Amino acid sequence: MKEAYIIKAYRTAVGKAPRGFFKFKRPDELAAETIEYLISQIPDFDKKLIDDLIVGNAMPEAEQGFNVARLISLMGLKVDDVPGVTINRFCASGLETIAIATAKIKSGMSDCIIAGGVESMSYIPMTGFKPVPNYNTVSKGKEDYYWGMGLTAEQVAKEYKISRESQDVFAYESHQKAIKALEDEKFKSQIAPISVKEIYLDENLKRNEREMVFDKDQGPRKDTSVEALSNLRPVFSATGSVTAGNSSQMSDGAAFVMIVSEKMLKVLNVEPIAKLVGYSVAGLPPKIMGMGPVRAVPKVLDQVGMKINDIELIELNEAFASQSIAVINELKLEKNIVNVNGGAIALGHPLGCSGAKLSVQLFEEMKNRKLKYGMVTMCVGTGQGAAGIFEKL
Amino acid sequence: MNTKISKVAVLGSGIMGSGIACHFANIGVEVLLLDICPKELNEIEKKKKLSIESKEVKNRIVNEMFNKCIKSKPSPIYNKKFLKRIKLGNFEDDIKKINEVDWIIEVVVEKLEIKKSVFDLVEKHRKKGTLITSNTSGIPIKLMNEGRSDDFKKCFAITHFFNPPRYLNLFEVVPGPNCDKSVLDFLLEYGEKFLGKTSVLAKDTPAFIGNRIGIFGIMSLFHQIKNGEFSIEEVDTLTGPAIGRPKSATFRTADIAGLDTMCHVANGVFDKCPNDESRNVFKLPEFLNKMLNKNMLGSKTNQGFYKKTKDKNGKTKILSLDLKTFNYNDQKKVKYETLSIARKCKKRDEKFKILINGNDKASEFYRENFARMFGYVQNRIPEISDDIVSIDAALKTGFGWKEGPFEIWNYIGIKEGVELMKQFDLKPADWIKEIITKKINSFYQVKNGFIEYYNIESKSFNKMPGQDGFIILKNVPENQVIWSNKEARLIDIGDNILNLEFGSKMNAINQNIIQALDKSVDIAEKDFKGLVLGNESSHFSAGADLSVIFLAAIEQEYEELNFFMKMFQNTMMKLRYSSIPVIGAPHGYTLGGGCEVCLHCDKLIAYSETYIGLVEVGVGLIPGGGGLKEMTLRASDQFRANDVEVNLLQEYFINIGMAKTATSGFEGFDLDYLVKGRDHVIMNKKNQISIAKKTALNMYDMGYTSPIRRNDIKVLGKQALGMMYVGADSMLAGGYISEHDKKIANKVANVLCGGELSQATRVSEQYLLDLEREAFLSLCGERKTLERIQFMLKNGKPLRN
Repeated sequence: MKEAYIIKAYRTAVGKAPRGFFKFKRPDELAAETIEYLISQIPDFDKKLIDDLIVGNAMPEAEQGFNVARLISLMGLKVDDVPGVTINRFCASGLETIAIATAKIKSGMSDCIIAGGVESMSYIPMTGFKPVPNYNTVSKGKEDYYWGMGLTAEQVAKEYKISRESQDVFAYESHQKAIKALEDEKFKSQIAPISVKEIYLDENLKRNEREMVFDKDQGPRKDTSVEALSNLRPVFSATGSVTAGNSSQMSDGAAFVMIVSEKMLKVLNVEPIAKLVGYSVAGLPPKIMGMGPVRAVPKVLDQVGMKINDIELIELNEAFASQSIAVINELKLEKNIVNVNGGAIALGHPLGCSGAKLSVQLFEEMKNRKLKYGMVTMCVGTGQGAAGIFEKL
Repeated sequence: MNTKISKVAVLGSGIMGSGIACHFANIGVEVLLLDICPKELNEIEKKKKLSIESKEVKNRIVNEMFNKCIKSKPSPIYNKKFLKRIKLGNFEDDIKKINEVDWIIEVVVEKLEIKKSVFDLVEKHRKKGTLITSNTSGIPIKLMNEGRSDDFKKCFAITHFFNPPRYLNLFEVVPGPNCDKSVLDFLLEYGEKFLGKTSVLAKDTPAFIGNRIGIFGIMSLFHQIKNGEFSIEEVDTLTGPAIGRPKSATFRTADIAGLDTMCHVANGVFDKCPNDESRNVFKLPEFLNKMLNKNMLGSKTNQGFYKKTKDKNGKTKILSLDLKTFNYNDQKKVKYETLSIARKCKKRDEKFKILINGNDKASEFYRENFARMFGYVQNRIPEISDDIVSIDAALKTGFGWKEGPFEIWNYIGIKEGVELMKQFDLKPADWIKEIITKKINSFYQVKNGFIEYYNIESKSFNKMPGQDGFIILKNVPENQVIWSNKEARLIDIGDNILNLEFGSKMNAINQNIIQALDKSVDIAEKDFKGLVLGNESSHFSAGADLSVIFLAAIEQEYEELNFFMKMFQNTMMKLRYSSIPVIGAPHGYTLGGGCEVCLHCDKLIAYSETYIGLVEVGVGLIPGGGGLKEMTLRASDQFRANDVEVNLLQEYFINIGMAKTATSGFEGFDLDYLVKGRDHVIMNKKNQISIAKKTALNMYDMGYTSPIRRNDIKVLGKQALGMMYVGADSMLAGGYISEHDKKIANKVANVLCGGELSQATRVSEQYLLDLEREAFLSLCGERKTLERIQFMLKNGKPLRN
């Protein structure tokens, strides 16, 4: 087997949806500009060397439809030569693309791939515009295949006895860690600054233009407290414990990495950042999709012959506090190596982008801490889990 | 005067000011609502480091007051969308904008000096000729006129709204001494036609008409009970719906209005009416002073005559005040024999006679209470009004009494009323004595379909004003009744238009009503130009008669039920496809079957206070009288090429599945029970039937052709059904609905989607009606549905099971 190296990794700042700073930044442009930035970081790079662009996206329709990956390639690389493919494994999409790219390169099918993900939840709602559950299935009592994610979070809270209070405390800590990370400028060098141009009507109803550059995550809230969080009402269930405050935020964002073969590494003469050493996905009942990592993590550890204690840093996607806590408990994870700079509850969760975004964050923190093995894992809608192990180079 | 009101300024944003602003917004007028700027920053503003000059601070008072008002229940606004018609501002920055308005309404604190300073401001900025009125309830207009310009005085009057302005229909107008006649005429007409109120011309006397008599009524009760013979809840039982007054009766009303407000009015009358023979009634009894001192002001301080608490199970419980011990205790059940007898009596006049002629404590109470009321109102003519009509109208519309004091006296008999008064040493007024000697034993009579009242000045019966534009069904002579059965009357309302008046309990749809609808269409098609479905009850129709359905269901007589539902559906289709225009005139509760009747009319003339909805799921059923069919059809008609149709249909599913009811006629459009561009909402219930009649006539004259039967209704089949099943299941999983709710919701979905069809299909109305009936009947066989119906019949509210 050949080796596959990640040589560049960038993400955008994450904006809130549907009213955040990327609210009218189209996802195709957002991704294209992130890729443009990534390329610009490799001196004298010949874009035609790229074999493929693999874009993860959880709701590939409307502005994200039309095989958005190909459009992103055309818009961002400005050459016709690089094709594009859109991949969907909901919230694991961004990690899945890295795994596919790695596998392709390792098998010798490619030498250079840009992989990652983009999601605009401002443009495309969580379920897409036309959810059409299969009647033949749901009428047989399988409605839960199509349940909203919040209900599954409630189900996890119920089955694993995760209290409202512990969820709120978890959410609060996520914000605290994220705020601190922002203050310490932990993310600065991984972010592709994105400029947003707006044409708007001013107070005299005259058309006007303004442009702003965004490079800091919008989600973390300084002013939140456990008390404020505990006053929020449950949103998915009359008697439940999952609130807007202890769930991940809806977000807009993009993140991409460039993965190359050994051969390409020499051609380009760049230093590798990391490599993906193992990746697993697993299925479980859709009702408790939040427990996905509990199935996927042991599977990937087994795959690479490691123990959980060998992993030094973990990005666990905080879809909901309830499932995050349950996963940490079940897998007996070392709490102080999980989401050290805050998670999706504070920083946002742009569905199909998240896997790549968390990887980008993981690489940089591993570099800072001088660690060798790190993991990105998440739960995935309709009862799945994904986990990838990276080795820092 | 041909004044058009498109913009008003309301000065003062207190509970009345904000309420008045909302009501003008309700009728489509733009409103500028202003209040004073705060003098200092509050804690939050200090924390935010705001300056006293910032807009946020300057508008704080108006923002807070207005927000409090719009959150109050029942809502002061017909439709939340109307709120954008109101702009908020402050006296410093925005007062100059009053030069753009057509009418300025002053609603600031009831202090002459403050009002005068506001008028100074108004004079500075007001355009000449702009209407200016005050909502004062007690300050004499002559005092407010002092120092004002001639143009101001010409345009100045008092317009007194009652709280809450949307719901209470009394609009007292008091012209100033210099007020132009055209201004007065305009205000009286505007109140009726545009604001939907009953305009009452009042004199410049303390508390005008409504409050003078209304507060007298409450105060005299306070004196009547102070010796402890009656408890709070006893008086409220006696003075509530038992005598045609609101459920809140006496003490609950006082709690809602606020004891301080009420005492303020009482004190005002006491101070300013030295010659009132019953002046002492307005003197606050000891217990009332004690309550004021203890800040027991009613709802606003959470305790008054009643106190809302929670028992140990968290259930809300309302305790009543014991005036002797000043403790709050559990309410005791109140029962009087006289009330039980009177309850069974349907005729209003006989009912009142029963009430005063019993032998128990209740009758004793009524004898004294009515005697004192009669004694008082007779002496208020001509002091506060020249006629009995205004006094009756004021109490009916301002205090929600079904009958005014003279109407009650009329029921009891004038002579009999005087006899009552004598028992309490009250003397009849001269004009009363005169009537008696003339052997006239009534204040009102009906002649040729019009009400006449006894005019004290002319000493003869005169036609009551304002009836010409109206059609009043209850006064229609018998010979205009074309057809009737036990529970419905078909009336010729002139110009070849018929009106079918429902008369069942709560106007429920039962066999008699269905028969009447059927017959009405036959008769109208044969000899008339159009048909109006309108009535003068409190509610258009509360729904299908559940007792009939319950009995048949419990006896498992499904054949019979099927027959009834089929008859109902057929009659609805007959309304829809008749050869004459059918106009529905909904008002109040227009629920379930009542809503379905309206859905099958050609056009609706709805009263602004119409609460329309398909609420069948609340009793474990689905709309089976064509309601689901009609909503499926309406959704289908809105589908456009390439639409995601399921999303639109889902809205209908949610409305029906959650038994949503519009909280006003205007909201009916949002739920699509009223059709935009076709149906209309009117402000004044009094002219509803006459407008409906004109509408029918109009449609006839424009060349009415009955619609063509539909067989092109697009139903979505399985592609939409799956989504709805998931929706209902998610609601169940989230604990928002019960298993049985889910079952019902799935049945609703099944009809809306046209059943398990593999693809979107065009179907006929009958196809959907058959699906409806099938679903309806299947639910009638469900134990939980029967429990729901039984609970509703017994308790008048829905059961969640």
